[in-house]
Amino acid sequence: MERWHPVSVLSDLHRGEVAGVRIDGHEVVLWREDTDSATLHAWEDRCPHRGMRLSFGFVREGALGCLYHGWQFGGTARCRLIPAHPNVRVPAAIQVRTHMVREHAGLAWVGMEGAGAFPATMPVPWPVVQPVRSVHVSAGAGLLRHALGMHADVAMTWRGPVGLAVHAPVAGQAMLHVVRARDAQAPSPLVLSRWAERLRDGVEGGGDTTRIMGELA
Amino acid sequence: MSDALVLHDWTPDVRCYAVRLGLSLMGLPFATRAVDMDLAPGQRPAGLESGLCPPVLQAGRTRLSRPCTILLFAARQPGVAPTWLDPVQGWVVMDWLDFGATALDTLATLRTAAFGTTLPVLPGTVPLEALLRRMEDHMAARALAGEAWFAAPAPSIADVVLFVVFALSADLGVERDTCPALRRWARGLRRLPGFVVMPGVPDYA
Repeated sequence: MERWHPVSVLSDLHRGEVAGVRIDGHEVVLWREDTDSATLHAWEDRCPHRGMRLSFGFVREGALGCLYHGWQFGGTARCRLIPAHPNVRVPAAIQVRTHMVREHAGLAWVGMEGAGAFPATMPVPWPVVQPVRSVHVSAGAGLLRHALGMHADVAMTWRGPVGLAVHAPVAGQAMLHVVRARDAQAPSPLVLSRWAERLRDGVEGGGDTTRIMGELA
Repeated sequence: MSDALVLHDWTPDVRCYAVRLGLSLMGLPFATRAVDMDLAPGQRPAGLESGLCPPVLQAGRTRLSRPCTILLFAARQPGVAPTWLDPVQGWVVMDWLDFGATALDTLATLRTAAFGTTLPVLPGTVPLEALLRRMEDHMAARALAGEAWFAAPAPSIADVVLFVVFALSADLGVERDTCPALRRWARGLRRLPGFVVMPGVPDYA
């Protein structure tokens, strides 16, 4: 838990969008403000009112609204409106638990409790990175990392112009996040998407994925 | 002028929802005859013929009982935008519609089993997860190609059926957080004029 987790490609987190992700079993909601700043937030995926998942909610006027009773939480994570009591001054204590979040290398990274500062030295060997796709793999993150040739402590690896990152939503499941260098001699996004599917199928099948990885050479 | 449309409808049924949603999106007015399938056949007020289950669409002397056939019929009615059964991509629409018919039946069967039990049992969601994975792979590729819909440049009746499969799969606890391409596509469909909800598909308005 004490690390930064790559949880989504940024192309899946446009302005005004809400996405639920899990990180080692912890439910997290990612949402981007529908304002000019389009700030990205990562919070505990739980409304402090009745425990409803906030990722079922919606973004309105710079706030995340809970689907259940419409409680609205602004960018500070404090509740700013309870629709059933619109004239009530909402106590400051009503707020959602927040996580650290960064946008880096075409990916959204979430720092869970105790993660420390975002590592400034995480290298991106290309000037402009384009998100491709996040792919669900029904196999443990360790198996996927092994197929990718990634050490357990490494969050992201580059195969030439293709960036690959892994996170574990829950035990026995993995998400593979694929990005590419724009304007380089990288495979097209569509080719990489199909490649990621073949790798997923290979890892899930338990076979040798060396040949699939070799396609990136 | 075409005959008035009458839909024998059971609100909580996903196949009925696919028809209601499709007719509404296509702007076709229709009357409903509610059929409570929880009642014994003899107590159902709408009095459908024995063996018929909602959705059943009556249009004059035409009586249709399969949701995707009803949507095909609707898409060919006068005044309906031709894009719902895109003439250029018609076969692709039909292909995904056929896929959607199977997926909808799979969802309906699992959902009925899950909701109809008196003891909490985990439904076997593997078939549904496999269907959603194929949908996710397809829509991820479509998005990378700059397309927003399953089969054509504009939303088609295939999108209607597949939306119902994706949206109501939540009732079975199927993991949808791992389907970002479908999430984006479903969000687009919700914004279409004429979109309607059912229990389990929330209304953000």
